[in-house]
Amino acid sequence: MTGLKFIQKMKELFGLSPEDTETTKKKAIKELIKKLKLRHILLKQELKNETDLIKREAMHDSIKILKKQIKKGKEIIED
Amino acid sequence: MKRLLLFIAILALSYGFFQSKNFLSIAAGVAIFLFGMKSLEEGFRFFVGGLLDKFLKNITNNLYKSILFGTVITTIMQSSGLAAVIAISFISAGLISVAQGIGIILGGNIGTTTGAWLIAGLGLKISIATYALPMLVFGMLFIFQESKRLKGIGYALAGLGFSFLGIAYMKEGFDAFKATIDLTQYSADGFMGLILFAAIGAGMTIVMQSSHASLVLILTALSASQITYENAIALTIGANIGTTITAILGSLGAGYEGKKLATAHFLINSLTGLLLICFVPQFITFIDYTAPFFAIPAHDYTLKLALYHTYFNLICVLLFAPAVHGLVSLLNHLFQPKITAEGAIDDVLYISDVALDFPDTAEATLLKETKHLYNNVYDIIAQGISVTKEDIGSGMEAEDILKRRDQALHVNMDDYYERRIKEIYGKIINFAIVAQGKFSDISDHQFIPIKNATIGIIEAFKAAKHMQKNMLRYLESDNEYIKSEYNHIRKNLIKHLRTMQMIFNTTEEDVAVLLLSKLQLDAQNYDIAANKSLDNLIRTNKITYTMATSLMNDTSYAYTIASELSKVAHILFMHSSTHVENSSEALILNETEVSDLTHTTSQRSTS
Repeated sequence: MTGLKFIQKMKELFGLSPEDTETTKKKAIKELIKKLKLRHILLKQELKNETDLIKREAMHDSIKILKKQIKKGKEIIED
Repeated sequence: MKRLLLFIAILALSYGFFQSKNFLSIAAGVAIFLFGMKSLEEGFRFFVGGLLDKFLKNITNNLYKSILFGTVITTIMQSSGLAAVIAISFISAGLISVAQGIGIILGGNIGTTTGAWLIAGLGLKISIATYALPMLVFGMLFIFQESKRLKGIGYALAGLGFSFLGIAYMKEGFDAFKATIDLTQYSADGFMGLILFAAIGAGMTIVMQSSHASLVLILTALSASQITYENAIALTIGANIGTTITAILGSLGAGYEGKKLATAHFLINSLTGLLLICFVPQFITFIDYTAPFFAIPAHDYTLKLALYHTYFNLICVLLFAPAVHGLVSLLNHLFQPKITAEGAIDDVLYISDVALDFPDTAEATLLKETKHLYNNVYDIIAQGISVTKEDIGSGMEAEDILKRRDQALHVNMDDYYERRIKEIYGKIINFAIVAQGKFSDISDHQFIPIKNATIGIIEAFKAAKHMQKNMLRYLESDNEYIKSEYNHIRKNLIKHLRTMQMIFNTTEEDVAVLLLSKLQLDAQNYDIAANKSLDNLIRTNKITYTMATSLMNDTSYAYTIASELSKVAHILFMHSSTHVENSSEALILNETEVSDLTHTTSQRSTS
């Protein structure tokens, strides 16, 4: 193992590999959008089966929030 | 007592200096060496901010990485005491577990052996003072620089310089002693001799608060043939036991978790010491046998002592690393958290002096204590709306809770504030201000938001207290309309508090991000709906004007509770160690975005 490789290995071991913070942030947002989309689908399915009016209202609100959050996330990634 | 001891020490040392110039030289050497160690530690602290946190996050749940971390830190710093202080501080803040802390301590024991090799192999064989002087000059030059990093390098260089100078003085003192007095005439043989010298080794380490300084002293005395090899071994065992006192003293200001670690350190080193002291003659034979493999000449006792020191600490690790979890169970049994009785005054659980050692530990401690305060306030807000926190956490529908708790719950909120909030709130604010001053460069984004969350919690409490008076009156009112309005406030607050608990308990980032935005939306929706309902009740004369005024005020208080707690949840979530991702914050809707949604919701409701 060369000296450089050894240093890289040690950095990885201690989590000190320098990474572009902007790229890391965008990557994390992408991951989060994926989860939010999945949550959005799940809530829509639950809404179909829900008969309680108050609960339906709360689900509607959550779906609206999720839509807005997904849109916001996409805008950040595209920037 | 302390002052008397200090006075006696000054008198004894002064007498010794007057009697012997060589003794003065040795004592000055020890003092300069200790000063160097302090300076080296100071230099290290300049690099600590954020870096240590990253290191510690990567050693999570892995004992062997903790051992490696302890070894590296101690090798760089040449102070196992500092490794212990770091471990105690991080354990007290809840950033690492006791098992990981023990790993750091074990690693520190290995790291300390490098110092013995350096001193025995180089320090006593070359003119170390030659390197000390340029280090001091360059160190000072760096200390005067503006840059924090350069300052840190400066302190580290000066620290090393002073340590080298201290070693040189000690060596000179012992060498000069050789010509006038032979200290080996005071040597003691046999098992009693080993015990006596181990006690001396432990004693001098306790006084100097550094096993490294003791080791240097032992090695220089051994190289000048002022102590026998056997006695040097006993002194080394003693020094390894004495060093645990640094951790014990460090844990005095720490919580019970810190005390666990200090006890573990003491047990590990003492038990290994007691075991090995019984086998010193056998070990000497073993070292004589293995020394040639390391190219150590038969007559080089200082290097042989360094080898003994290494064996001692390796045995320590080999004996205790597999038994760490058993040791943790024993410590958990010995030290248990104090439980505050129902009527007793509640105090802080995490804030301690050691938490202020590093910015990361200060932040984690502040966060945990704020959550502790939140739990107490959550409890009393629940009682203020005549339900209990168990009701909220039960999973029952809010309507069912209200049916179950249809009677007003008379609770003295002022008394509760005195008993379970005031002390903690005061200490949190005090701690945050001290931390802000100590780590001023990072306080804007680390301490100030958490301090603001604490203030928000208290604002929510105050609003609940103001609301309680009318709540108690109208829940028992004959007017069904006003009763229903107050039940509506209760229902919304139950939902709000429940959502808050869900945010704190969830491990799923997307759920938390959704709920944080929903908290704000619900608060705004409720405010709009309550105002409409109030207008309607007044217009139709269903409530009196006094009732209307009360309801108007209390709706506003309920909104204050909801909005303050939403902000608190946001801050605490963002600073929580398990969710420190900037991405989450970017997707939480701000006030304007929530207002847009509220607007579309109300449009839908009216259409």
